[in-house]
Amino acid sequence: MKLCEFIRPASLPAARDNLRELGAKGMILAGGTALHFMQDHTPVTAVDITRLGLSFIKHEGAFYNIGATTPLADIQRYRAPRWAMHEICRRISTHQIRNISTLGGNICRVFPWADLPVVLLAMDARMVIYSGKETEFPADEYFKTQPAKRFLGGDILTSVKVPALQAHHGFGSIKVVRTEASFAMVTIAARLELDGANIKSARVAAGSAIPFPRRLPSVEAALVGREAATAVFQEAAGKAGADAPWRGREGMSPDYSRHLAEVSILDALERAATFARGRAE
Amino acid sequence: MSQDPTANFKQVNHSVTKVDARQLALGKPSYVADFAPADALVVKMLWSPHPHARIQSIDVSDAEKMPGVKAVLWHGNVPRIAHCTAGQGFPEPSPYDTFMFDTKVRFVGDRVAAVAAETEEQALAALARIKVKYEILQPVLSIDEAMADGAPVIHDEPEAHVPIPIPYEPKKNLVARVGCEAGDFEKGLKEADFAFDDTYETPYAQHCPIEPYVSLAQIDSAGRIVITTSTQVPFHCRRIVAQTLGIPVQKIRVIKPRIGGGFGSKQEILLEDIVAMFALRTGRPCFWQFTREENFRTGRTRHPIRVRIRAGVKKDGTITAIGMDCWNNTGAYGGHGLTVVSCCGSKVLPLYRCENIHFLGKVYYTNLPVGGAYRGFGATQAFFGMESTVDKMAEAIGMDPLKFRQLNHIKSGEGSPVFAALGEGKEGVPMTVGSCALGECIVKGAEAIGWKNRADWRRKSGRYRRGIGMAALMQGSSIPHIDMGGASIKINEDGSFNLLVGATDLGTGSDTVLAQIAAEELATTTDKMIVYSSDTDMTPFDVGAYASSTTYLSGEAARKAAADAKRQILHTGAEMLNLPEDQVVCKDAHVQSRDGQHKVSYSDIACYSLYSKNQYQIIGTASHITQKSPPPFAAHFAEIEVDTWTGNIKVLKYVSTIDCGTAVNPALCEGQTEGGTLNGISYALTEQYLFRNGRMTNASFTDYHIFSMRDKPPIQAIIVPSYEETGPFGAKSVSEICINGPAPVFGNAIYNATGARLNEFPFTPEKVLKAIQAVKR
Ligand SMILES: Cc1cc2nc3c(=O)[nH]c(=O)nc-3n(C[C@H](O)[C@H](O)[C@H](O)COP(=O)(O)OP(=O)(O)OC[C@H]3O[C@@H](n4cnc5c(N)ncnc54)[C@H](O)[C@@H]3O)c2cc1C
Repeated sequence: MKLCEFIRPASLPAARDNLRELGAKGMILAGGTALHFMQDHTPVTAVDITRLGLSFIKHEGAFYNIGATTPLADIQRYRAPRWAMHEICRRISTHQIRNISTLGGNICRVFPWADLPVVLLAMDARMVIYSGKETEFPADEYFKTQPAKRFLGGDILTSVKVPALQAHHGFGSIKVVRTEASFAMVTIAARLELDGANIKSARVAAGSAIPFPRRLPSVEAALVGREAATAVFQEAAGKAGADAPWRGREGMSPDYSRHLAEVSILDALERAATFARGRAE
Repeated sequence: MSQDPTANFKQVNHSVTKVDARQLALGKPSYVADFAPADALVVKMLWSPHPHARIQSIDVSDAEKMPGVKAVLWHGNVPRIAHCTAGQGFPEPSPYDTFMFDTKVRFVGDRVAAVAAETEEQALAALARIKVKYEILQPVLSIDEAMADGAPVIHDEPEAHVPIPIPYEPKKNLVARVGCEAGDFEKGLKEADFAFDDTYETPYAQHCPIEPYVSLAQIDSAGRIVITTSTQVPFHCRRIVAQTLGIPVQKIRVIKPRIGGGFGSKQEILLEDIVAMFALRTGRPCFWQFTREENFRTGRTRHPIRVRIRAGVKKDGTITAIGMDCWNNTGAYGGHGLTVVSCCGSKVLPLYRCENIHFLGKVYYTNLPVGGAYRGFGATQAFFGMESTVDKMAEAIGMDPLKFRQLNHIKSGEGSPVFAALGEGKEGVPMTVGSCALGECIVKGAEAIGWKNRADWRRKSGRYRRGIGMAALMQGSSIPHIDMGGASIKINEDGSFNLLVGATDLGTGSDTVLAQIAAEELATTTDKMIVYSSDTDMTPFDVGAYASSTTYLSGEAARKAAADAKRQILHTGAEMLNLPEDQVVCKDAHVQSRDGQHKVSYSDIACYSLYSKNQYQIIGTASHITQKSPPPFAAHFAEIEVDTWTGNIKVLKYVSTIDCGTAVNPALCEGQTEGGTLNGISYALTEQYLFRNGRMTNASFTDYHIFSMRDKPPIQAIIVPSYEETGPFGAKSVSEICINGPAPVFGNAIYNATGARLNEFPFTPEKVLKAIQAVKR
């Protein structure tokens, strides 16, 4: 993209109007960091949405509601009970990028390496989209295909509702990198719901060594109803090969990516189980 | 106990502030790009998309008509003069196999045609309009393919030749061959109780200076070309640009401002001929800066080298034979090929006492990125093989590898036949080691890493296993009888001095180090030095910043120039004090009588000599060549943790000890040690050139992983002083040696953790995992 003009609408409806008028010539601009990866030179008008009051984190009952233009650095710094989003944000790129890069930017145009879609899939988050009125979409539906398509008509992501983890819920994410600021070789997130020693429900998602972030249904199926134990996690992780086409990254083979994903799933599940069991007081 | 010779130093061996610190911290215009005038034309190059092809035709007519385009260069409109882009002593020990533009392209990223236009966009648009027809030739994409019978000939042009009598057979893709023998290698092998024969592979890497290659050329009012450029070798640059353009040296002035890192990459003339040619053609300032992608693809790299080590050891620890065979892939052009492979032998083999030595290095062209000078210069590659085998020898005889090194490493007063046999393009210089604190480096490093707690890998289990590894290292300081550095120093009215040096500070701090040396000699303070480096019109000659030479060689030139000025200061001071010259000394920026009763300041001496009586300019000038290349020594240690499920390596602690003689500026010395070590750590663990059909597929910092501060493991730099009598105030060198350690240290540590021995790096998790899986317990 080549930014040729810049407008800063005063309200959400005005922003939507601007975008609808501009059509293909308009582009929502949040942190603007993704432009680095969008290197075609199509001329566009940037519609800046960073001054529309969409930068916030609110605890609203069963959810944390995170505004779409909240910088990753703010999410990284935020702390509250049953909150787990800071962990992955700390691992995304550099301080400088996290200071400007937004939650919305990360999930409205999803790059294969993106970490947040994986976490939001595992967390069963809900995306709130403004199209004259606000509508909620569950993560499974939202990330079925490239979300960027949803926004071509001028709609705007306004916030993301991340469920606050319940007492018997646990969450774990693993991002395997070559260097601290690099893209993940694999990125895995898991949410477990325990019922005593057993797993009541499981959501496991992966990204980066596969074409697009997704949940791993065979892995999840191998967990539900079974004991939350290493042997079970290991067996379930071994199903990852069936769930996604693993690709080689960084000069390493597809087999290695799959193997790394399996180990990372196991690690993420161990973390989630520990989280769910809680600290021994 | 002998007295510490550095005890009375007031400038040297003190961490004074860098002379350029303030200007850099304040962001003052300092670098090449800061000096590009607003009306400078922007240069862009059309690069070859093919690894090996003949250009059948080029049509630049459309490009020439594009808006803003002022000139287009291609092989049809520039002189065809065979030259070498490597900035080395003259005549170079490298082939003349390069032309400004050629009718053949030899790697992805080779020059095809260049445009100078008013804006970058216009230049890029014009490039897109250049029509090129290629005849695709079979590419040579590995050193094995290059060596094979009937391999495609990469340099079939008749002009390719070497300017000095060294082996060069382009029809066989052979760029150079060098070797030496001492004693009887085969006999030595037979006498051994244990013999070893291992082949190691070392990879490509790029230097990744934060400032990419960048050059600016302008025509001054006298019609001369002024090239402001990010270079390590301003004087070689002037000579090579003159040669390439076919114009006299007199027509060119090269200015080196502050440099944002080089590490060897800027010991090469890759942009300057083009900006100079455009400036001549257009009369306009012409500016060219590589993108990061261009830096990776077209910039110089570290030569990938295959190193075969054959060695024999007796049960008592005596090394009976060491043989090293190196096959060096120099890529599409041969600059530095011979010298890099020579240094595989000359900077590594002398480290261990052994009477029977064999060395053979061969260098081959391929259609891959071009190798060049890179910190460590062959020693880095060879030490990986050598130090891995040294650990194996120790294990075979059941000796602690640390003790084995202590038993065998070279010591003060000892020589090696290799010093005399292997030079750079000619025989070397016989030499015995003067200062050597390697023994102490090993002891201090071992203590810092906790060597005594190191356990055998067979006693380790579980997913995460820790291992400790070490390596002993050496390098050189300058190239004896080849390198030359000059300096001049003159006094000003306030007792300050202009120190003019040809030596090239490229961010290393050498301006500060040379100022400290001159100030120490002159008995004044470093802040009185106004250092100017380097400008071919203004400063004396110096070969430039390479071969770990600046402190040792150019430092001695600066010291001698200061001594020359001091002689004059004493003369005038004595005259002013009415005392005989042998009754006065220099102290604290004054000339004073021996009893300190009478004194006159440098400022008064300067004013007297400039304005009052018997006027003359107090100016000292000197040049220096070295008679030997005293090795700095180092012992490196690391503790790592291997995830045996994924193959991932975590560096828990790294200890870099260094004997660089006197550390002229200990803070800068630690900086070099830490920086070189970190540079070596990412080379060993994460840096790699990935190729598809000869094209690098990861030419960006997104995909090519260098360690940044975020990744830095705890590194403990320990300076272990020695005093090198032949160096300025006891100094040797520090900048290169530290990069040699991490690859062998990690290789040995992985073995110590898991029993897996890897003969190639980077130690990517997949390779490590495979090696672990192959270990039989
Ligand atoms: C060097 C680098 C490394 C990175 N590494 C990682 C990594 O490892 N993992 C990771 O997850 N991320 C990483 N990122 C971040 C990621 O790739 C994106 O750049 C970033 O998340 C985009 O956020 P932004 O706010 O800058 O979005 P922008 O660049 O402003 O926008 C991105 C896209 O989303 C659209 N958009 C933005 N906000 C909205 C909205 N509210 N409604 C509808 N559409 C919208 C824009 O129109 C655009 O198409 C990295 C970025 C960089 C530059």
